[in-house]
Amino acid sequence: MSDRTVRRFVEGLLRGQPTERARPDDFEADQMKTAIELRAARLGSDAPREEFVTDLHRRLAGEIVDEQKPVIHPRWAARRRQVVIGGSVAAASAAAGLVVGRNLLAPNESTQAAPPTQGELEPNAGTWRAVGASVDLPDGGALAFDLGSVNGFVHRTDAKLEAVSGVCTHQGCKLWLDAPESRLRCPCHSTSFSLEGTTVTHQMPIAPPPLPKFQVREINGVIEVFAPTKPA
Amino acid sequence: MTDAAYPDWDAVYRDNVTWVYRLMYGKVGNQPDAEDLTAEVFMTALRPMRVSATVPEVRKYLRMTARTVLASYWGDRMGREVTSIEVDVPEVIEPESVASDAPDKVRRLLQRLPDNYRRILELRFLQAFSVREAASQMGVTVANAKVLQYRALRMAAQSGEEATS
Repeated sequence: MSDRTVRRFVEGLLRGQPTERARPDDFEADQMKTAIELRAARLGSDAPREEFVTDLHRRLAGEIVDEQKPVIHPRWAARRRQVVIGGSVAAASAAAGLVVGRNLLAPNESTQAAPPTQGELEPNAGTWRAVGASVDLPDGGALAFDLGSVNGFVHRTDAKLEAVSGVCTHQGCKLWLDAPESRLRCPCHSTSFSLEGTTVTHQMPIAPPPLPKFQVREINGVIEVFAPTKPA
Repeated sequence: MTDAAYPDWDAVYRDNVTWVYRLMYGKVGNQPDAEDLTAEVFMTALRPMRVSATVPEVRKYLRMTARTVLASYWGDRMGREVTSIEVDVPEVIEPESVASDAPDKVRRLLQRLPDNYRRILELRFLQAFSVREAASQMGVTVANAKVLQYRALRMAAQSGEEATS
């Protein structure tokens, strides 16, 4: 009976629940519309949650930029994540975007030609500092470290250790480790780097330089990087 | 300002996320769906957007995307468009003004109703009272309040229909 469809909808609406499926007729749909308008007119109820805004920003940075940016490191090419949300609209639009090939997110190709080379961090005065135990870093894993004067990420691939700076080469924001994607991501813009330090995605006209590398070694079950000596 | 463009997607997002959310909230009336739809709008729209698009173009494009996303949402949930986003909007949309006519519309709608109908809708929808609270506020039984609420909504829907047609 018609009442039940509207009642169920209104109960859910007033509880703040997502809309459930139903098949209303014209008049039921009108009542639903009126209920929505009334509910939406409640004072102060229509501002987005801060956590939602932040979370969606993070998802956009991760998902969209990954999909659109030319991927420099071939190893990452097959590891694109699928967009979690969205149905046919998103899919169709994504396809259109790729075909048309013009988008807000792609870097300017012409300025991509010569990426700056990756340097090694060579402090005037440095010491070997422990950043973690060997057992904490299995093959394929990555580890964040912060030594005060410098911070970064060390990873082990094919039994070989490599450590890179944890500071974005664009404007100096601290990178975070996106472990599932094996990426180092900048919270400021959409720049991301591979664990080896190469620039994978960015939104600037010119690609930010790759991350400087640290010298890294493993002695008696301890991983050490060569870092600047603390000022006296 | 009409020729201004956004420097990057980040700026597009920050400048527009609030009004897109408000627009969606005004069309679905609940937070979880409004958040999902807002996310879908940006996921969909940011991909094919031109670098050189001006601010009004971007906003118009976001609005058109929101319209499509909302239509597909209602199609899935109800098999029909319960609410929709109008196309005929001025070229330059000021984000702040997007959903601002809603309270006026609701006020006019409520004014057309008999007192007890208006009261029950105000208590339940605008002031978020439970049925029980609303009933005690109005001095009626809970069962009475429920009946009042649904009759009031029916009448409001009818009167809204007449007002627009």
